[in-house]
Amino acid sequence: MRIKGLLFLLFAILCTESHAQSEVLFEKATEAYNEGEFEKAISFYDDILKNGKHSAELYFNLGNCYYKMDEIGPSIYYYEKALLLQPNDSEIKNNLGFAQNMKLDAIDEIPKTAMKRFHDSLVLAFSPDQWGYFAVAMIILFVLGFITYYILYEATHKRIAFIAANAALFIAIFCIIMGYLGIRNQKLQNPAIIFEREVVITSEPNERSEKVFALHEGTKVNVLESLENWSKVRIADGQTGWMPSESLKILKDF
Amino acid sequence: MVVTHRQLISILFVFGLLLSSFSGFCQDEDAVTFEMKLSKEKLGINERLRVEFAMNKDGDNFNPPSFEGFQVVMGPSQSISSSWINGKRSFSKSYSYILKPTAQGNFTVGQATIEIDGETYKTLPKRVQITAAVDNPNAPKTADDVADESLHLVAQVSKSNPYLNEAVTVVYKLYISSNISVTNFRPLDSPKYNNFWSQDIPVTKYNTVNENYKGKPYRSVILKRVVLYPQKSGKLDIEPLSLELYVDVPTNRRDFFGSRIYQQANKTVSAGKRTLNVIPLPEQGKPEDFGGAVGQFEFEVSTTKTDLNASESLQAKVEVSGKGNLKLFQLPKPELPSALEVYEPEFEENVRTTITGMQGKVANNYTIVPSFRGRYPLPSISFSYFDPKSKSYISLKSDEITINVMEGPTDSADGNFSTATTPKIAVPTGRQFHFIKTQPNLISLNSRPFFGSQKFYWWLLTPLAFIPLVLFVRKKKQESDADVEGNRLKMANRLARKYLSTAKKQLNNPEGFYVALEKALHNYLKAKLKIETSEFSKEKIIDLLEQKKVNQSTTEQFIELLKSCEMARYSPITKVQMNEDYQKAGEVISKMDKQL
Repeated sequence: MRIKGLLFLLFAILCTESHAQSEVLFEKATEAYNEGEFEKAISFYDDILKNGKHSAELYFNLGNCYYKMDEIGPSIYYYEKALLLQPNDSEIKNNLGFAQNMKLDAIDEIPKTAMKRFHDSLVLAFSPDQWGYFAVAMIILFVLGFITYYILYEATHKRIAFIAANAALFIAIFCIIMGYLGIRNQKLQNPAIIFEREVVITSEPNERSEKVFALHEGTKVNVLESLENWSKVRIADGQTGWMPSESLKILKDF
Repeated sequence: MVVTHRQLISILFVFGLLLSSFSGFCQDEDAVTFEMKLSKEKLGINERLRVEFAMNKDGDNFNPPSFEGFQVVMGPSQSISSSWINGKRSFSKSYSYILKPTAQGNFTVGQATIEIDGETYKTLPKRVQITAAVDNPNAPKTADDVADESLHLVAQVSKSNPYLNEAVTVVYKLYISSNISVTNFRPLDSPKYNNFWSQDIPVTKYNTVNENYKGKPYRSVILKRVVLYPQKSGKLDIEPLSLELYVDVPTNRRDFFGSRIYQQANKTVSAGKRTLNVIPLPEQGKPEDFGGAVGQFEFEVSTTKTDLNASESLQAKVEVSGKGNLKLFQLPKPELPSALEVYEPEFEENVRTTITGMQGKVANNYTIVPSFRGRYPLPSISFSYFDPKSKSYISLKSDEITINVMEGPTDSADGNFSTATTPKIAVPTGRQFHFIKTQPNLISLNSRPFFGSQKFYWWLLTPLAFIPLVLFVRKKKQESDADVEGNRLKMANRLARKYLSTAKKQLNNPEGFYVALEKALHNYLKAKLKIETSEFSKEKIIDLLEQKKVNQSTTEQFIELLKSCEMARYSPITKVQMNEDYQKAGEVISKMDKQL
C-alpha cells in the first residue's frame, strides 16, 4: 500500500517535471523563432512532441516556422492540425491562408448545397468536445432550474424556473446531437496533406496503371481507404485516385 | 592537226634530251614520286590503253607489271625531260606502254617497281574496265563525254547516322574539272526533305576552291547548304538534287590564232540519293520531363523583381540557350503557386542557323501579378536534353526563387477583381502574418476527446441523479410536517433537552434536581415572555400566562410543577416521582410553546 502510494507520488512528480520541462522548451523555441533560427525552434517543438505533449498553439508555431522556411507541405500540415484542435482560431486561419497561397494546385471545390452549408455552419461551429462541455453545462442548469422550480412556492417564480429548466434541457439535447454529428463528420473524413513535390495519381494501386492527374505539395486530400502502400484519395473537386501512402501525411495522426 | 601518240613521244623525247643537257648535277630536294597514269579507265575491247610510269628522279632496274589481260603493242618507250626554271630544276622520266585488251571484263594493271637512290618504289595498282567493242575506236571524246567526266555533283552529309533531332548538314558541291568551264546552272528539282525539319542556308557567293576528287584535281563550288533535323527514326532518304548545267568543253581543234575552240554542252547532273540511318534516342535513362531537346544547352529561370507590392506585375523568364534544335522543342512550364495570376507567356526567339545547326536562345516571358500579401516560392523546374556528343541525357535545374509581396489588399473586402486568364485560386490573406503564440497550453498527446468519453457521460448523468434525490428529501420533509402528534413530541423533547439538560443530570440527586427544575422553568418563562425579573410569584405567573392566552389547564400544570418543586424542599421524594415530574415538565413546556 505504501509502495503504491510512493510510486504514485513519484509518477506525479515526474509528470509535473516533464510538463515544466516542456514549458521551458516552448519558451526556448519562442526565443529561437524570434531570432530567426527556425530550424532550432522546430527541433524544440519536436522535443515537446516527443515528451508526449501537444496543443493547437504548438502546431500553429510549427506551421509558422515551416512557412518562414518556405516549406509548403509541413507548414500547411501543422496549421491544419492546429485547426483540428481549435477549429475557430482566426490567427490560425489567417496564417493558413498565407501558406495556402504558396501551393501550386488550384482545385475548385464542389459547390455545397444550401442544406449542406447550413449543416456545416452549425455542426462545425464548435468541436465535438466543445459541444460536450456545453451539454454538461446545460444539464447542470436544467437540474438547478428543476430544483428551484420544485422548491419555490410563488407561481410566477415557479413558472420562470420551469421554462428555464426546460430550455436548458432542450439546449443540452441539441448540443449532444451536434456533438454526435460532429464526431460522425470527423469519422467520415480522414484528411491528409501531400508532402511530395509532385505526386501522380493513378487509377489503380500499382505502378503500371493509368495516370489520372497530378497533385503538388501542400494540397489537402481525403483518404478514403488504403491497400498495402497505396491510399485512395479524394480531392476537393470530387476526383478520386490512388497514390503512394508515403507521399502524404495523415492529419489525425496525433 | 592530229598528233599521234608515237609522234608525241618522240617529240617529247628529243625535247627532253635537249633540256637534260642543260640540267646537270643539281640535286632535287623534292620527295621522290613514282606514279602510274592510265589514259582511260573504261574502254572498248577494240580500243587501246596507254600506260605511263612517271618518276621525278632517275632510277634503275625498272620492272614493269605483267599486264595481265592485255597485250603489249608498243613499249616500253622512255622519255626524259629536265628543265631549269628560275634556278630550280625539274626532272621527269617516264616509261610508256601501249596496251591492247584481250578480253572483256575488269582487269588490274599491277605494280611496277623501280630503284631510286637505292630504295625500291612501287606504283599503286589501278582497275580498268573493258567493255564491248565501241563504234568508233580511238575517236576523240565528244563534248558530252568530256562534260560527263569532268562534272560531278556530290551531296556531302556531315553524319550518316545521326540521332533523332540531331543536326545534319548536307552540302551540295559541284566538282568541275579544270579544263571545262560552267557558264550557267539551273536547279531542275529542289529536293523535299520529308521527315526532316530543314533550313536552307543560302549561298550568297560561289567561291571556287581547288580540291581533289577521287584522286584528280578539280575546282569545287558549294551550290547549296541545308541543315536538317531528322524528325523520325529509321532509314530516311534524302532526295537527290538535280541541276542543269551549261558548260563549255574544249575541243582539240584550234582556231586561226592557235587557241582552242570550245563547244557548248548542256548537261543534267544529280547528286545521288543519300540514305540516313537515324538512331532513335535511347530509352534508357530518359528523363520524364524530356521534351525532345537535342544538343548542348544552358537553362535559366529568372524574375525581374523579387520584392513588390500586390497588384504590381513582374516578369518571369524561362530561357534555354545553346546549340541544338532550339525551335523544335517545348520550353518547360514553370510551376507557380496557384494564388498568383499568370498570363499567357510571350515567346521570344533569337536563333541563328549556321552550317553546324541552330544556335542562340529561346525564352518564354510570363507576366505575373500577385493579388495578396505573402511569400510565393517558385519551385525549381528542370529541363532535360540529350547530348549527342556524350550520348547521354542531361537534366538542368533552375534556382528556386521566392517572391515577396509586401503590401496589398488585406481582405476580400475589395472584392474579387481578378481578370486573369488562368483560373487561379487565391486565399485572401489578412493584414499581417501573425507571430507565433507564446502561451503553450500543452496537453497530453494521448488525451482522449471529451465528447463520448466515460467522463462525459458521468458529467451528463450525475446532475440528473440529483433530481430524484431532491424529490425524496422533500417528500420526507412533507411527511414529517404532516405528522402533528409526533412533531409535538419531538418539539417537547427538543425543548426539554434545551432547558432540562441540567435537571436531567441531577436525576439521582433529588434536592439538586428540583432546584435545577425550578430554575429551568423560570428560565423558560424568562426566555419566552421576555421578562427581566428575578421575582416569580405564582400569581404573577398566572397573570402573565392569562395575558398571553395560554390554556388554563396548561397553566395549572405549570403551577403544579412549581408547587411540587417547592414541596420537594421539605419532604422526601421518590425516584419515580422525580421521573414523572421530569416528563411532565417536558410536556408542559412543549404545550406552552405551542400556545405562546
